[in-house]
Amino acid sequence: MRKAMTWLAAGGAFVLVMAACTPGGDDNGDDGDGEAGGELVWAIGGAEAQPGGVHQQVAELWSEQNPDNPIRIELLPEEADQQREQQALELQAEGSGFDVLGVDVIWTGEYSENGWVESLEDVRAEIEEASLPGAFESATWGGELWAAPYNTNAGFLYYRTDLVEEPPTTWADLCQVGVAAAEAAGIQPFIGQGAQYEGFVVNWLEYYWSAGGELYNEDQTEVLFDTELAAQVTQFMADAIAQGCYAPGFNTAQEEPARNEFQQGNVVFMRNWPYVYGLVNEDTGSPANGNFDIAPLPTVTGEGTISALGGFNNAVSAFSDNKDAAIDFVTWAATDPEPQTLLATEASVPPTMESVYEDLSDDPVMALLGEVLPDAKPRPPAPQWNEISVEMQRALHPAVNGQGDIQSAVESVRDFLEGTIE
Amino acid sequence: MAETRTAPPERNRAPTGRGGPRARRKGLSERALARLFIAPSLLVMGLVALFPVIYAMVLSLYSYTRRQRTGFGGLDNYVDALTDGRFWSALQFTLTFTVTSVAAEFLIGLGFALLMNRTFRGRGITRAAILVPWVIPTVIAAQMWFFMFNVTPGFINTIFGLGDFSWIGQPGWATFAIVFADVWKTAPFVALLLLAGLQTIPAEMGESGLVDGANAFQRLWYITLPLLRPAILVALLFRTVDALRVYDLVVVMTGGAFDTESLSVLVQQFVVRTPDPGFGSALSTITFVLILGIGLIFVRMLGRDIMVGRGAER
Repeated sequence: MRKAMTWLAAGGAFVLVMAACTPGGDDNGDDGDGEAGGELVWAIGGAEAQPGGVHQQVAELWSEQNPDNPIRIELLPEEADQQREQQALELQAEGSGFDVLGVDVIWTGEYSENGWVESLEDVRAEIEEASLPGAFESATWGGELWAAPYNTNAGFLYYRTDLVEEPPTTWADLCQVGVAAAEAAGIQPFIGQGAQYEGFVVNWLEYYWSAGGELYNEDQTEVLFDTELAAQVTQFMADAIAQGCYAPGFNTAQEEPARNEFQQGNVVFMRNWPYVYGLVNEDTGSPANGNFDIAPLPTVTGEGTISALGGFNNAVSAFSDNKDAAIDFVTWAATDPEPQTLLATEASVPPTMESVYEDLSDDPVMALLGEVLPDAKPRPPAPQWNEISVEMQRALHPAVNGQGDIQSAVESVRDFLEGTIE
Repeated sequence: MAETRTAPPERNRAPTGRGGPRARRKGLSERALARLFIAPSLLVMGLVALFPVIYAMVLSLYSYTRRQRTGFGGLDNYVDALTDGRFWSALQFTLTFTVTSVAAEFLIGLGFALLMNRTFRGRGITRAAILVPWVIPTVIAAQMWFFMFNVTPGFINTIFGLGDFSWIGQPGWATFAIVFADVWKTAPFVALLLLAGLQTIPAEMGESGLVDGANAFQRLWYITLPLLRPAILVALLFRTVDALRVYDLVVVMTGGAFDTESLSVLVQQFVVRTPDPGFGSALSTITFVLILGIGLIFVRMLGRDIMVGRGAER
């Protein structure tokens, strides 16, 4: 998912400048001009795509091994929504500027239905064998493989070992323990991703799913949205804000503000992605440094754990002039231990190759990922996901913040989901 | 008035020119020639300015499922838009934002302009300092104010000792924060426009007011402001039209949460984020008409003002 490793003001400003300046990819008029082989362009965003990031290292590794078809990263914005917009602008115009697309797990359906990506059925067996089942599933739509898994992601519960003895297993426990511990330490209990954006939907779904709720049935022909459960978890979150279990910055926080709160020692618990682990571990000035650990996310019922599955897959653009080489690249990035191990060792970016987890089981992050990934749940990779997500944000975010009625909010979500089935 | 003064001689010349043998020898009349020369630039302007607008109007008549056109829908998209509560709340925010931010920018900008118009030591530095916020790109200013207002890192809360007050995490205050950031950023621009107007006012006017015994407020109210009227209208026109299109501040600071969704954010959602080109175009056409209408009112007032001004001079 969205990972940022930039610092406060300067970092934020830089990201925005990058977002504003990143071209649609038309600046590379050199590919497709009849050169045999030729350079591939990989449109991917986020902190790891920047110079020095692990995606760059993976690109360099490939370019060294394949001097005929080197690959270059076209840096997309930090925000997933904006990455998608940049790619959509190019693909909508049937532009050949991008050969390989870094595709968020929730865009698979949309991209395939729009005819923007090549089917990877020819290399399916190879990829399926190497990849984690959840990640593989996220790259398929309508029974067909549209992308090669590249990295996956799951949420962790970060907790302060100096303030609480063991991680809670239910969200209600978390609030109870958290409020007491926070009061004693003079800080706040919990932070997650509560700003009105995709991350909020992810956080909300983790409560809803862990209470036993579902959005659709398996093949998305029927809506299983349970308004009663949805109202319960929404009420829980609203109470958690009103009663001070969630830190005051919760409802404006994305990943990075949440990480900052935890890293500065302002919260007892945090829900965030694995990348935070390395950053807090390296920051010796942080009060959390040496005093924190990671655990599976709590649930509503106290049984098991559940996390929303994140991550990026690599798809081949249907408008690429160099599809064969692009297919070779995405297959290699999914099935070769070298790039996959790089992801884990260089950046705590969870790889999708099963065997890498066995090789790296000494690493606490990889060990916990190995534990929670089998229970991670993909958001429906439907073509409508983006619309569904925006609607859920619009309905549920105000409800969680005590503006507007919870019952009518969850009903409007159900109605919207019903409308997506025809 | 200016029109009627210059028109008669032309009208007298034209018939003889067009009918006389001289004109025929010369080919086109002066007026036709002028039209011919202007035609290419009008064409280019038409293509650049009007084509997208008309194209959006055409698109708004079709219905779509995501990016695929599914048929002709007539005015369905407009009916949907105007019956959608979301449109009305976006309109409400946009108007609230426009009225409050433009009013505050005008008052502060006028103050700055009056200050900058005086002669004092360090005037150059003061002018430069006042203009700094305006030079900063809006997204960066927005991100900066996000950090200032947000609970983390919460600079404003730290400075004023407000603890964990969540400025942008609740309705009302979120709007305030966005208006505040806009005023901070654009008041200097208003000041610049008003300063240009102030500098065209001869100093003797104020001096004679002084001789007649008018106090500072009377001189401002009865001399400066009336003479500044055209500049004020230009400044208000620019700012109002600009404020009605507000997008970047909202997206960066709140993402449209807490009742701060503006019309442009709504349009962007349906054009880019969750594409429905028909509905998106209908929304953008409505926004366009609204802004055009308000813009025209200003231009009307401005046009009359300039004419009345010229008449008075003569």
